[in-house]
Amino acid sequence: MGLLALGTPLEWPEAKKVASKVRSWGIEQLLAIWGNAKGKERAALLWGDEIEYLVVCYDEQNRKVRLSLRQADILAALASDEKLLQEGGGVPDVQRGPVKEAEITAPVFHPEFGRFMLEATPGKPWGIGFKDLLDVEPNMKWRRTIAKDHMDKSEYPITLTTFPRLGSPDCIVPSYPASGPKLRSQYVPDEIANPHIRFPTLAANIRWRRGRKVEINVPVFKDEKTQWPFKDPTVNRDLHQWPEDDDVRNGAAKDNHIYMDAMAFGMGSCCLQITFQAKNIQEGRTMYDQLSPLGPILLALTAATPIYKGFLADTDVRWNQISRAVDDRTPEELGEKPLQNGRWRLPKSRYASNSTYISQDPRLRPEYLDPDLVVDQDIKQRLVQGGMDDLLATHFAHLFIRDPIVVFAEDLETLDLSKADHFENLQSTNWQHMRFKPPPPNSDMGWRVEFRPMEIQITDFENAAFSIFIVLITRAILSFNLNFYLPIQRVTENMETAHKRDALGTEKFWFRKNPFSSHGSSTGTSTPAEGSRPPTPFGPVEDEYEQMTINEVINGQHSADGDRFPGLIPLVESYLDSMNVDVETRCDLARYLDLIRKRADGTYWTAAKWIRHFVQTHPKYEKDSVVNDEITFDLVKAAEQITREEGRDGLGKEMLGKRR
Amino acid sequence: MKLILSTSNIMSGGPSVIRRHFFEKSNTELTSSLRANFTAHQSSPPTPTTTTSSTSPRPKPPFKSWTKQQDNTLWIPTHSPSPLSEPRESYDITVKLFYLPNVPADTRCLQTREAINLVLKELGTSSIDLLIVSFPGISFDADDEESDLEDPSSAPPSDTDAADADGAPEDIETIATTWHTLEKLHEEGLVSKLGIAEFGCSRLERFLGEVKVKPSVNQINVRDCCVVPKPLILYAKHHKIELLTHNDCTNVLPRGTLRDILGSGEKGAGVLAGEEDDDDDGEKLKGEVMPQWVVKYTAVVKDRGVVESKGYFAVAELKG
Repeated sequence: MGLLALGTPLEWPEAKKVASKVRSWGIEQLLAIWGNAKGKERAALLWGDEIEYLVVCYDEQNRKVRLSLRQADILAALASDEKLLQEGGGVPDVQRGPVKEAEITAPVFHPEFGRFMLEATPGKPWGIGFKDLLDVEPNMKWRRTIAKDHMDKSEYPITLTTFPRLGSPDCIVPSYPASGPKLRSQYVPDEIANPHIRFPTLAANIRWRRGRKVEINVPVFKDEKTQWPFKDPTVNRDLHQWPEDDDVRNGAAKDNHIYMDAMAFGMGSCCLQITFQAKNIQEGRTMYDQLSPLGPILLALTAATPIYKGFLADTDVRWNQISRAVDDRTPEELGEKPLQNGRWRLPKSRYASNSTYISQDPRLRPEYLDPDLVVDQDIKQRLVQGGMDDLLATHFAHLFIRDPIVVFAEDLETLDLSKADHFENLQSTNWQHMRFKPPPPNSDMGWRVEFRPMEIQITDFENAAFSIFIVLITRAILSFNLNFYLPIQRVTENMETAHKRDALGTEKFWFRKNPFSSHGSSTGTSTPAEGSRPPTPFGPVEDEYEQMTINEVINGQHSADGDRFPGLIPLVESYLDSMNVDVETRCDLARYLDLIRKRADGTYWTAAKWIRHFVQTHPKYEKDSVVNDEITFDLVKAAEQITREEGRDGLGKEMLGKRR
Repeated sequence: MKLILSTSNIMSGGPSVIRRHFFEKSNTELTSSLRANFTAHQSSPPTPTTTTSSTSPRPKPPFKSWTKQQDNTLWIPTHSPSPLSEPRESYDITVKLFYLPNVPADTRCLQTREAINLVLKELGTSSIDLLIVSFPGISFDADDEESDLEDPSSAPPSDTDAADADGAPEDIETIATTWHTLEKLHEEGLVSKLGIAEFGCSRLERFLGEVKVKPSVNQINVRDCCVVPKPLILYAKHHKIELLTHNDCTNVLPRGTLRDILGSGEKGAGVLAGEEDDDDDGEKLKGEVMPQWVVKYTAVVKDRGVVESKGYFAVAELKG
């Protein structure tokens, strides 16, 4: 998450007044970028991964672990480390060293929304050279080592998606009282967020726009002794400090759910994101579309989030919680009140699964698109008028149905078409599971696509495995011209399915049966024989896809008739068979693919399953869904040990298998 | 008559390129993509779901409608090149030439030239980056005593391999003679790097003593790539020979297979007349098919890792 320039942020009522202006300036900036960059060609594949950490602080004496809010100190230490700077690393927002060609570049660190979080990326992007792929895991480990080296002895950068007891009493250090003016949360203080003015403003204006606090209800896991119906015992209905304290008296906290009330509960989650540079805009649009149906599959496969606010949840992933934590929709937009002032009803939060396909691809059937997609028609018209094609104009006019949340007064003076600030204002606060990113103005960067659904994994071995798997999948998609299209609403459904407890082992997901284009239809270069076959008429869309288990999607459907879905791993293996890969590299890549293969077939557990099991077999667990301080301490310690040992000492082997 | 069979670009050709079983070493990529390309070129293709329509196989179109004869060469199917779309320097072009058993070694000079020319024409280019040659009868695991590879019979047996014995591996002198042809291509700048396949340590050592241009690559079939013997890894490193993986079988085109693909049986393309197919009015070719060589080419866009073009040519003699 990059930091935008400092300035005077507008409070919501003021920001609201200028929303249209920001949008229309953003669109003009987009058109300028589009005009300049739509013809960019032959960009290399460059890609990058982002690892996010929770900084935990152990209190060995009291066997407690808390979140450390020392993000700023840690970043300052990183930004002033001479050796790190010399190697090109550092903190880009503050100071970093020069990047030299053909030399190893140290990683760089970034602030995140949560003041207990840290993000690390490679110092320069990866290429597709197989040697580059093998550098990923050591680089991730290097990042963690550097991060740790700039922390206190009692601190550790852990890669759990969420802190199990975030929002419980005494879960942060230093300690601050809850119920601050920005978040108005009864669980977490304003100090939980990065103090950069952008972040508290974002949280406050989302709340303000919405007319109440954000409302996150996660179904609680019902264990033997869980009180039922479950009424979240941590909800305080007697607070009267802020008007929003009425929320819980108005039914914000639902029965049988864990209730949370602040952006930090969502945006404080860690994920594993991958960004690719495409060779040109067309390839970028293809990747965006083809990776989109894989989102829910990878979400379920990386599931790692079974605990919220000290309770076992009945879901395994973070996605919907983040979605609700930044949901700025008004009651009118949500459909709770008749539309009077709002412009439309909005079926999804601004953090949600994709709603559009954008590739100008003959294989993209109109039936795959959402007929009820909400689009700002004026904006679309302006984009089309500016030369953009209908499909892409629709995509951006869909993103631009949202209001800008954080607006700086200084930016409203003149429209600068050589910048992208207004465009990015909307673009970067639309958190969908894929993001299509135009090149920044005046840069030699190409069009990029970001893959955002994956959960962070406990070990860097796993994080490298999933990153590399996605990279290889994109290469297979482009090489074999694969087709994963299915109606976008089915992708949205799959995203919901991915939340279910142990979705990996028990649920089925909509997926396309045949990923291949019919023979010869797309090569175009081979001479068709006289009287060549007429193009295969499209059958009903519903015949193109069916429900599959994750195992079938990843490892293939095995049946007597050979014409079933081949599986993503076999597709990647076939791609690798077509490449010149040296023996040792192939062997290393095999370790990664093997992890994914075995996660998918159930041999290895997801982190969610492993954490659940850890809690439920902990001697201090009372079978009442409560994850207390002591369990949390042991769990975080165990996660750290797994990060270090990667299962070699036996801990976590259910997730990782036998490691050498 | 010479038969030139081609697959065209198989990358977007569908399931024929996807191997279904891990560690499967096979020629199914070649055979199924040949079949798929034939089918695509026949104006009324046989229904692919043969399970349901086995009662009355549809008549196949006469082969002359989808093949092309030039002088004494028959192109199966009719073929025209698909040149690469980007400038030459964007690509890494690898060619693997399979010399086949029961073909005299002294014909290889000509065969090699012919194969390279076909590929150059196909891709619309004037040079290739890496030429790997595969000699008949060499199989890595059998050759190397230090190898701790599992028994080859544990791989799914491919019936075609058994039907047409690979014969004994050639002696190093014969191999070296062939290699001198390749060295010439290298000198001419047609090929930047040369490679061999399936050489174990001892064979490699003997081979290096005989050649002027050292191979840059030794391609090894690895069902489980983590079991390559350490001595080979060290030896290769010392001699700056890259050990690359592949998934082909050495005898990629046994004689029976070709007859199957071209024949008049249910799954054949109907180019060759069957044994009891005498009522055919000479519509089909008769004679014995002798596979000569097979070449596989792959063009990868270097800095994107995208395989843009991949395909095979297989050449056979028809003796009537």
